Amino acid sequence: MFLQQLVNGLTLGSLYAVLAIGLTLVFGVLNIINMAHGGIFMIGAFVGLFMVTVFEVNIFVAILVAMVVGAILGYLLEFVALRPLRKKNVSHLAPLISTIGVSIFIESVALLVWGPQTRSFPPDFIGGLIDFGMFKISMVQIIGLGVSIVLMLILNVLIKKTKIGKAIRAVSLSTETASLLGINPTLVISVTVMLASALGSAAGVLVGLSFDAVEPMMGVVIGFKGLAVLILGGLGNITGAMVGGFILGVSEVFSVAYGASSYRDAVAFGLIILLLFWRPQGLFGSKDKGGRP
Amino acid sequence: MSEILNPYYLQIVMFFIINAIMGISIFFTLSTGQLTLGAAGFMSVGAYVGALLTLKAELPIPIAIFIGGIVAALVAVVIGLPTTRLKGLYLAIATLGFGEVVRVIFLNLEVTNGALGLSGIPAIAQELTNYVYEFDMDGLLDIDALTWGNLLTIIILLVILALVILFCLRIHNSRVGRAFQAIKADDHAAELMGINVVYYKMLAFVIGAFIAGIGGGLYAHITNFINPTDFSYHKVVQILLFPVFGGSNVVWGSVLGSFILTLLPEVLRFLADYRDIIYGALLVILMAVRPDGILTEDLMDKIYRKLGVKKKAYIPETQVLTERFEAYKAQSKSGQE
Amino acid sequence: MKKSMFKRALALGATAILAAAIAGCGGNSSSTNNANEAKVALLTTTSGAAAAYGESIKNGAELAVAQINGDANNVKINLLVEDTKGDKNEAINAMNKVIAKDKVVAVIGPMLSGEMMAAGPIANKNKVVALGTSTTAEGITDIGDYIFRNAVPESLAVDAAIRQSHKVLGFKTAAIMYSNNNDQMVSVNNTAKKALESEGVQIVATETFADKDTDFSAQLTKIQQAKPDIIIVASLYQEGALIMKKMRELGMNQPVVGSNGFNSPAFIKNAGAAADGAIVGTPWFPNKDDQKVRDFRKAYVEKYGHEPDQFAAQAYDAVFLYESALKAAGSTTDREKFRNALKGITDFVGVTGKFQFNEKRDPSMEVQVLQIKNGQFDALQK
Repeated sequence: MFLQQLVNGLTLGSLYAVLAIGLTLVFGVLNIINMAHGGIFMIGAFVGLFMVTVFEVNIFVAILVAMVVGAILGYLLEFVALRPLRKKNVSHLAPLISTIGVSIFIESVALLVWGPQTRSFPPDFIGGLIDFGMFKISMVQIIGLGVSIVLMLILNVLIKKTKIGKAIRAVSLSTETASLLGINPTLVISVTVMLASALGSAAGVLVGLSFDAVEPMMGVVIGFKGLAVLILGGLGNITGAMVGGFILGVSEVFSVAYGASSYRDAVAFGLIILLLFWRPQGLFGSKDKGGRP
Repeated sequence: MSEILNPYYLQIVMFFIINAIMGISIFFTLSTGQLTLGAAGFMSVGAYVGALLTLKAELPIPIAIFIGGIVAALVAVVIGLPTTRLKGLYLAIATLGFGEVVRVIFLNLEVTNGALGLSGIPAIAQELTNYVYEFDMDGLLDIDALTWGNLLTIIILLVILALVILFCLRIHNSRVGRAFQAIKADDHAAELMGINVVYYKMLAFVIGAFIAGIGGGLYAHITNFINPTDFSYHKVVQILLFPVFGGSNVVWGSVLGSFILTLLPEVLRFLADYRDIIYGALLVILMAVRPDGILTEDLMDKIYRKLGVKKKAYIPETQVLTERFEAYKAQSKSGQE
Repeated sequence: MKKSMFKRALALGATAILAAAIAGCGGNSSSTNNANEAKVALLTTTSGAAAAYGESIKNGAELAVAQINGDANNVKINLLVEDTKGDKNEAINAMNKVIAKDKVVAVIGPMLSGEMMAAGPIANKNKVVALGTSTTAEGITDIGDYIFRNAVPESLAVDAAIRQSHKVLGFKTAAIMYSNNNDQMVSVNNTAKKALESEGVQIVATETFADKDTDFSAQLTKIQQAKPDIIIVASLYQEGALIMKKMRELGMNQPVVGSNGFNSPAFIKNAGAAADGAIVGTPWFPNKDDQKVRDFRKAYVEKYGHEPDQFAAQAYDAVFLYESALKAAGSTTDREKFRNALKGITDFVGVTGKFQFNEKRDPSMEVQVLQIKNGQFDALQK
């Protein structure tokens, strides 16, 4: 049972991780929490679902298309809700509210267009359960885990090795210095939000697929968990988001397996409060990030 | 007359006032530059403690609500010791987490009746209606007893709101208020100036929690029924919107914000399915147009000038102390005679 | 720049006020009422987390109203639909609005038990009938003499389902899984525990989750370890479908007794083949050999393009109950007469079968225990 629960926890954790990376990327560069991430996550799930059901493409193509749509939405989000606020020197309460507005908007439009019913992927779309004796793992779980890890690896290379990645890191260290060095911050910020939204979209498809449920409000609860991971790993730290995602997933599952399932939702945040006593900047966070109110 | 005084409108006014109180509780900690999202948590503590005291211990409502506020403040002391040293969004999420943990605890406790919640909490309006009958006010001014009950409730709520606002305004112009502003502007500089940053942050946190607890108690005794879902993550976001929408730098901002945001969903009711779309869009537009909220300090100054209210000149602290000392001397002299 | 911003903000405010004025006007114009038309409010949830269920209720009620108003000899019903978003405050506001401002003769809803707990006392205080079509938790009608429901309380439905399936299947151990932040499901857990204990069944595991959860693997893995003969699941249909799918995926093939919400075509659609073996106690049996039921299903599918569920059926019946009460009361505005007429209804037959209220204003009707076989509801057999 231990191994089986560990597998359950890791699958859940990988999904949390992909979701939280998007949040942490945006935070790193813009110093804001993107509350609209859950909305884009949900749209991603719907796009993935429609690709699979209407256009009957395979799941990887569906994820790619969802990511492209996510990126476009990310650009729109940046243009509508974040750019107007960047021109003035405002506290980061304003983008918080503005992105909350966007998420309410996206969710209510989705509710209107697609209705509130939960939709699911075609039955036996990705069938099968592989029995390893000690534990069982389904194809869906393998895809969820696999794609998440691949996405994280790609992102790592992108951030560490490419020019745009370096520019993103530069802007996240200091927007002013970066622009003095000839980096166009507006471009970098747009690219970051697009990248983050593409990841959020992909997470949406993976979550929709793993739990076989796609509906307009699906981003709310999981977006909330994303916040937990964001803080757990340390604001703006990509490694932190990955590790934090896995920690949260595993500890949630273990709290059910060896504790009481009715306290499951308190585990995420109880964990955070405890951790913050010990490390006020999260697991991997640097001391000066996120300090500004 | 009875058109305007119909219970629907009166209920909205009650919700507006409670929302304003909740908004101010967030504003209060914001005025030291701390973004806390524990308001729903403290509100639920106040609500549950207050409701349990009136339901199980049969205490009078005002005392129960007051104790609820005190308990919320005590919880804030315990929670605040470690959390107020956190910064920025870490504090925000940690306090958000606190609210979530409290909600799950209430969901699992026996005495709070879990998800079924507490029902049959005595209503303030009901109690007041009984007084109305007792004092034979039924039909007075052509207003029936039920409406009188609601009206009196609103008056009491307004008095509480006025007290809270007055308290905020008084603090703003005091030594404590200036310490708050200094910390908000730059807490390192404030510390260097000899301000005990931890103490003042804690003070703001605890007072904010007390106000939220009172708000929670009032809420419980107006809606007659509470369950843990009332104090979820959505509630926090909703409460946070009040000060930020109305203006997070002045206390009137919370009042205006809660007024608009309580009324707006009701006004937009005719839009039915499109209501939330408009609501979301409005938030985005307002932040783009006025990122500091509707009311800002500049605007308030302008309004004060228009109204002809002169801002009190800044009085140096030494002068205040001298005056007080003189007054004290005069008083002790008269006491000796 | 600054000035223009201020102006824009003012313009924004002005727009809001204008909108308010328009809304006010709209309210007034609709309040002109002809004597033959009864104003009835439906409080339901068409946005927010529980919108899927509210939508069904709205559909069912609107279909009934269209049929009633289409008949020239009938009383006319003017149905005002208010969205409560599944939120207590909104329910309170909506209840106050329809009673005080719109002056409706009676109310259907609100939809969730929690909303009824908060808004029901208002209706009761104003002596206006509020009838819950889906408020299945304990203690709803204890609110007062004006609170009715045609929703079969879970205490009745689940109790019947467990006892009958125990008789037929003869299981010895059971596990319970319920949503612990949903008041109705907590009620189900209490009922199920009592029923199982009195039948002498051992409860080997109790696990919880929250509404809107999607990942149940941890709880189910734990239950699988306990090897129960049967599993009682108390959830709304969306979570229920996900639980069934996950169970079958993990190779758990036990029969499942579901709460009221399982009795929905959407449940079967969502769960697919995994739905087979689910048992539910319900007054709504879509495959019942009854002309009324067939007509209702046909009309519903014609209008909305999908099969009705229990929520729609109960809302549909509620509107017809109101129609009977209005006829019997002989008035479209008198709230007191309406209440007494509704209370006195005895020979009503709706799509959920023969119906009347008991002395506590709860439904007294027959509960049927159904099991899903090959994607269809069928009477429970060995």
